[in-house]
Amino acid sequence: MTKYEATIGIEVHVEVKTKSKIFSSSENGYGKDANSSCTVVDLGYPGTLPTLNEEVILQGIRAVHLTHCTLTRKMHFDRKNYFYPDNPKNYQITQNRTPIGQNGYLEIETSEGPKKIEILEMHLEEDTCKSSHKGRVSLLDFNRAGVPLIEIVSKPCMHTKEEAMLYLEKLKETFFYGNISDCKMEEGSMRCDVNVSIAPKESKTLGVKCEIKNIGSIRNVGIAIEKEIARQEEVLEQGQVLKEQTRRFDDQLNDTVLMRVKETGNDYRYFPEPDIPFVFLEEEQIQEALATLPMMPDERRILYQKKGMSKLHIEKILANRSLSDYLNTFLDTNINFVTAANLLLGDISSYLNKNFKKLEQTKLTREKFIDLLQKLEEGALSNKNVKEILEDVLEKEISIPEIMKEKKIQNITDVSFVEEIIQKVLDENTQSVLDYKEGKDRALKYLMGQVMKETKGAVNPKIANEKLVEYLQKR
Amino acid sequence: MKKLSVEEVKHVAHLARIQVSDEEIESYRTRLGALYEMVDGIHEIEGYSEEMMITPVEEVCSLRKDEVGAMLDGASVLSNAPKTNGKFIEVPVVINE
Repeated sequence: MTKYEATIGIEVHVEVKTKSKIFSSSENGYGKDANSSCTVVDLGYPGTLPTLNEEVILQGIRAVHLTHCTLTRKMHFDRKNYFYPDNPKNYQITQNRTPIGQNGYLEIETSEGPKKIEILEMHLEEDTCKSSHKGRVSLLDFNRAGVPLIEIVSKPCMHTKEEAMLYLEKLKETFFYGNISDCKMEEGSMRCDVNVSIAPKESKTLGVKCEIKNIGSIRNVGIAIEKEIARQEEVLEQGQVLKEQTRRFDDQLNDTVLMRVKETGNDYRYFPEPDIPFVFLEEEQIQEALATLPMMPDERRILYQKKGMSKLHIEKILANRSLSDYLNTFLDTNINFVTAANLLLGDISSYLNKNFKKLEQTKLTREKFIDLLQKLEEGALSNKNVKEILEDVLEKEISIPEIMKEKKIQNITDVSFVEEIIQKVLDENTQSVLDYKEGKDRALKYLMGQVMKETKGAVNPKIANEKLVEYLQKR
Repeated sequence: MKKLSVEEVKHVAHLARIQVSDEEIESYRTRLGALYEMVDGIHEIEGYSEEMMITPVEEVCSLRKDEVGAMLDGASVLSNAPKTNGKFIEVPVVINE
């Protein structure tokens, strides 16, 4: 795109992690039988009254804090009126005038440096029931009706699909690490609607916006934005006028398609929810909510960096929260985090993936992990040895020395002994020594093989290799 | 007396998802107008504020502990539905693309 600049704003809904729903005591769960987790409140029966869940408020306070928003200490709920079968009350209880949070931001790391993505506001609200469309009929499941949601509305301050995708990654990571939501887009616990408009670069006003709904992955958000910008550009280039419309992303077509036009703005006739009085957030309640927040990813990044971990390893560890949480239990020790990350991301992760296990389901105690790292550092165990004993380390309740004894692993780290063996091997293989001197790399490999053979593989390969090269150069 | 325009009546009818005939539109122009006028009267209340609309009393919302309580069994949920389909409530399709 050359002539035009795109402007992108995103509305994200995340399902809040609680035991019960926002206004009723029915279970907030996923994957249950259809219509098995509801009460008359969720079904919108006349005469029922909503009772506000305390945990939703606490989660809201956490979300506001983590996104640097200003907390609304005195707030109420509003009714958003519309007719649709997913909503039998004919209104959704949400927040219109007093959103729990306002004017915040999340910082993303773009290729051009850090950028603050501004958040306009954040609302608490109830989810509607889930409707699936089958031919001429729609099937309704009220298990989702009343599931607490936080809606996060960004300002239209993004200009590329990369910024939009990075913002969503950051939001997902923040809410996931904050234990506010699972943020599983494939299960619908994080959903986003994207507003895209384009205008000539020199223009001071925004173009006509198009809203794209129903995007099920961050990758698809990128595709949808790309396609939408191209579509709008084409319309303008043909001299036509863009119309405000709502489209949805079709993952079969890998493109956006036009949806019917729904009510907007005033047509929702928002008015205060008379069944829920004002909610006042007290200092004590705020402190209670924030006290349970775990260490967030940005703080982890700084700590891991100080421990010498590479950026790639840091991001890989953070992408797997249980590994990061595990690694954090060693922050008070002086283990080598680089070796630890290598081990966790390498052999340990592949073992866990292969066996469909989680780290906490193994017998890898804190003591064993520290011992394993120490032995690796000292050279008492080689990487090859670790591969050999890993299953026992993770599955048996015995110590590393016991496992080594059982597997007959005794790495020789006594340098004078290694030197003695090397002298012997070199004396017996004079032709190979000459080959090495003539630049034949294979000779070194052969000699190394002989050293390993002499010691039955018990010599530390790193030490042996270093010494072998040293002694060859002396000859 | 306040009289709504034909377009205003049609818009309200659309939001309410009801069909209205031309005669009905004409009748609603004055009837709805009177209703609007009555509602407008709220602004004449002494000391009127938007907060009064939220709640006229200084009552604080009490919060419910996050615990799962009794739920309806699936059969009861479906029992009042005009039409069901397996464990789902069935309604005419509402998507219109």
